Amino acid sequence: MSRNVVIVDGLRTPFAKAGTDLKDIHPADLGEAALKELIAKTNLDTDSVDEVIVGNTGSPADSVNIGRVVALRGGIPLKTSAYTVHRNCASALESVTSGYEKIMSGTMDCVLAGGTESMSQLPLIYNKKATQWFAEMMSKKTPLQKIKHLTKLKLSALLNPRIAVMEGLTDPFVGINMGKTAEILAKEFGISRLQQDEFATTSHTRAVAAQESGAFNDEITPVFIPPKFKKVVHQDIGPRKGQSVEKLAKLRPFFDRKFGTITVGNACPITDGAAMLLMMEEGKAKSLGYKPLARIKGYAFAGLEPERMGLGPVYSTPIALKRAGLEFKDMDLIELNEAFAAQVLACNKAFASDEFCQKKLGLSKAIGEVDPSKLNVNGGAIALGHPVGTTGTRLVITLAKALKAQNKKYGLATLCIGGGQGGAIVIENMNV
Amino acid sequence: MSVKSMEIIDKGDYAVVEFDLQGEKVNKFSTPVMSRLKEVTAELAKSNYKAVVVKSKKKKIYIAGADIDEIKSITEPTEFRKVLTEAHSIFNAWEDLPMPTVAAIDGACLGGGCEFVISFDYRIATLDKSTRIGLPEVKLGIIPGFGGCVRLPRMIGLQSSLDIILAGKSVDGKKAAKIGLVDEAVPKEILDQRVEMMVNDIIAGKKGKRKKTYKAKKLPNKILESFLGRGIIFSQARKAVMKNSKGFYPAPLKALDVVKKAFGASRDRAQKVEMDGFCEVAVSKESKYLIDLFYLMEGVKKQTGVASDVASKTVKQVGVLGAGVMGGGIAQLAADKNYFVRMKDISNEALAIGYKQASDIWSKKLKRRRLTKHDFKKKMSLISSSLDYSGFNKLDVVVEAIVEDMKIKKAVISDMVQHCKDDAIIATNTSSLSVTEMAEAHPNPKNFVGMHFFNPVHKMPLVEVIRGEHTSDEATATIFELSKKMGKTPVVVKDGPGFLVNRLLLPWMAEAMFLLEDGMSIKTMDRYYTHTFGMPMGPCRLLDEVGLDTGIKVLKIFQDALGERVQVSKLAENIKNSDRLGKKNKKGFYHYDEKGRDTEPDTSMYQELGLPTPKDPLSKDECIERGIYQMINEAARALLEDKIVETPGELDLAMIMGTGFPPFRGGLLKYADSVGAKTIVEKLEGYQKKCGIRFTVADSLRKMADEGGKFYS
Repeated sequence: MSRNVVIVDGLRTPFAKAGTDLKDIHPADLGEAALKELIAKTNLDTDSVDEVIVGNTGSPADSVNIGRVVALRGGIPLKTSAYTVHRNCASALESVTSGYEKIMSGTMDCVLAGGTESMSQLPLIYNKKATQWFAEMMSKKTPLQKIKHLTKLKLSALLNPRIAVMEGLTDPFVGINMGKTAEILAKEFGISRLQQDEFATTSHTRAVAAQESGAFNDEITPVFIPPKFKKVVHQDIGPRKGQSVEKLAKLRPFFDRKFGTITVGNACPITDGAAMLLMMEEGKAKSLGYKPLARIKGYAFAGLEPERMGLGPVYSTPIALKRAGLEFKDMDLIELNEAFAAQVLACNKAFASDEFCQKKLGLSKAIGEVDPSKLNVNGGAIALGHPVGTTGTRLVITLAKALKAQNKKYGLATLCIGGGQGGAIVIENMNV
Repeated sequence: MSVKSMEIIDKGDYAVVEFDLQGEKVNKFSTPVMSRLKEVTAELAKSNYKAVVVKSKKKKIYIAGADIDEIKSITEPTEFRKVLTEAHSIFNAWEDLPMPTVAAIDGACLGGGCEFVISFDYRIATLDKSTRIGLPEVKLGIIPGFGGCVRLPRMIGLQSSLDIILAGKSVDGKKAAKIGLVDEAVPKEILDQRVEMMVNDIIAGKKGKRKKTYKAKKLPNKILESFLGRGIIFSQARKAVMKNSKGFYPAPLKALDVVKKAFGASRDRAQKVEMDGFCEVAVSKESKYLIDLFYLMEGVKKQTGVASDVASKTVKQVGVLGAGVMGGGIAQLAADKNYFVRMKDISNEALAIGYKQASDIWSKKLKRRRLTKHDFKKKMSLISSSLDYSGFNKLDVVVEAIVEDMKIKKAVISDMVQHCKDDAIIATNTSSLSVTEMAEAHPNPKNFVGMHFFNPVHKMPLVEVIRGEHTSDEATATIFELSKKMGKTPVVVKDGPGFLVNRLLLPWMAEAMFLLEDGMSIKTMDRYYTHTFGMPMGPCRLLDEVGLDTGIKVLKIFQDALGERVQVSKLAENIKNSDRLGKKNKKGFYHYDEKGRDTEPDTSMYQELGLPTPKDPLSKDECIERGIYQMINEAARALLEDKIVETPGELDLAMIMGTGFPPFRGGLLKYADSVGAKTIVEKLEGYQKKCGIRFTVADSLRKMADEGGKFYS
């Protein structure tokens, strides 16, 4: 008998730009908040959970296998295994697809998958000189030796730490910062500053509209801020009411001051947040009386040049569609992660280009036109933010809930991955 | 032949004495056990063993102490003398055994047990949670009588020993090793191994007989523990005792006196001093009352809250409806005992208050290092919340703590029940509304029950478990057990206005306003009740704590429910119309500083209420009697006429645990019995003539007076 994997339900914390409302919340606590609520909301018997898989890229030093920490704090029994996955920007899609594989194969029936990230809490690291100095200090035995060694410390060694978030966002293979990869795409695909700013404005407009219509109410659970508990974060911080092309036009390019078009306004901000999905084998979900949101039809990851990583969705989507047995035109809604406006617009062009699809992907013709009214209907990462290890799951939740709300059948969630990869997943609304 | 208790196991070069008192869960020193110990000691003294180890075969218990039944039954000092003289001679003989002795302590080692092990040469304790070593005697109104007052100070110094003896404290293995009470504290699993190593050392002659004596280490301690510094230690200790006991409890003061006199005296002389002191306090009524209270508490441990043998249900997940001060407190307590807790309220801000309540209580423990950072986090993680009923169908018990309004409560309960498991038990934390009436909102009222916590939840030890008309045994037993698991003392009460504790407290609080009317000052009145009678706070202070608005509101409810005999002073109306709410708005009978800490009475209150400057015209006796005798009068009605509780013991336990009624008085009804029903009735009649119908004597109390009866018959 063939097996299907369904998404029973999903929940996420609000997303907040790094350094703002959620800055003091440990990523394990963010994951815990989402997981606990998902368990409560689905009245899940935690004994039936086979595994917990959590995406995360920051690997906090005090919780290296953060998946296990999230699971235990979230109320998952001690006996249940949990682990952390890292596929950069797609870590929380990797967690979902890992769960999918385990259920599909019949190894497991019930998996909690998601992701958590606190980009606020990414550390500063001592540079090589300072690290070396500390290591040598440890080997000094007598007080005299220690004092002598103390004099060798250069202040500059301490004052020039390595910034984990900056290093993490720079490709280690080609040495190019993510923003610069988007600049490459903007130039190659001829995407103007205005087009980018317009796209960014739409992202905000749609996100604000979604907030106002309550579209996110069903996917967000609040985070209470200790120790004073005076603040309760219950919605995404990013979306700006009245964001406009004019306002965005005032910003200076960030990555290429001279000829660039990418600004902090048409790129996604670094962000804190967590998201979790409950996945089950379809028969099991039904026997437990669940009415699942969506069925997973297929997924794919694919690689490309790291310096053009933004085009990842174009590479992974046709494979995912093929595995799902569906066509691009079947997709009623698309969530394409907005790392950069330029990168999304470049993807749109590439999807629709016969030449690109033939030359780069070896297809016979273009994958298809992207209808802007189907794309990121509730806004995207430019407005909401992009907690790297969380976004994959967030896209799936938002897509599944939007399909349900709009009574549409098929949806595609796809994202570009730092390091030169793309990820894509195709789902089917089970409520039509 | 007496019951088997101790056995000598021959191990070749050494002997192990196994202590396993047959027919009992714990090892304790009763007269038969002591005579067995005497035999054992004599046998060992004659033997050629090179070492002796004493082990317990009980789980979690080493030696729990002396047999309290025996202490309770003895009323004559001469009898105590006989018992103690014998005990001293046995312990002395043990101490004087020719071979070194080793105590392998795993589990509770308290009272007589602790006094026994300090007569050993060596002690090794485990780091297990169950290992507690100490001298809780003063909690029973007595002092250590098997040589504890003599040996402990010599062994661990005056400061550490007074700390233990005067407060009736016990310490864990780690602390015991730190203060020198044991030689080392080891993981439970390797206790046998370490003991064997020590025995081998002894057999090899590396360790011998010794008398461990305290040597002060750092300079300040050297000075304090010296002949010159001792005076300071004793006077500081005395101050601390007076502060804690207000001088109402003779035992700690006697213990201090004994330690002082015995310190430095010869063993025989010192033990005589201890015996004299013991005999003096052991026959005191305070001690008998405290022992009675101990039995009441032990009784609760064994009880299930119901007469039938219906078992309580297993509870893993607890819901709390309403995350206010009470709800948050209940959530904290449940999570603290490792229950998974789900809070629900109507806004995120309201839920945040609940989280803060819990977080603040644990933060304090964290600061005092009573809790680790990780445990703090773990406990916080046990609490979750929502604005809807998500997660509610996994809950075993839901405690409702929303606004005190019957209509709202009923509406919310009938709504909530739809989201809960069919067999979930719903408990209301109401303090004044009828549980039976509220149960009408539940489709299956047998699963509905009252669970009345007192404020502040984490500190007040009482829970009234209220049986409505239809409440099942199972629901009652489950809440009774849950209360115990939460570390509280439950008392089952019948439904009725104010249940038990508030019903008895209210006449007292109401009387405070009449006393004010009669010219008593806030300060004098409260002082009479606290410093003369021994209540933890006076009625004015209590009204401030409860909230003046709440107090007056509940008084009115009582008046409606119980009729004319509940009188309310005209001052109540004036207070109601003022902006004084008590501690919560830092304006009440007392001034409150910025942090809400109480200070002096607010004398501007008199003028505001239209009262002249108070002249305190009433006698101490009248002031106290008008309050306490009214309580007794109401207690007679509650117990004998309305049968709110079944026994006077339950009533006394509830009053002590719920209001802090002075334990040394044995509880309200023990106190009433000590005064005599006849006297109380006569006084009440006098006050009725003078002050009004609120002093009308209850029929049952009058009958008792006429028949010369007592509450405890």
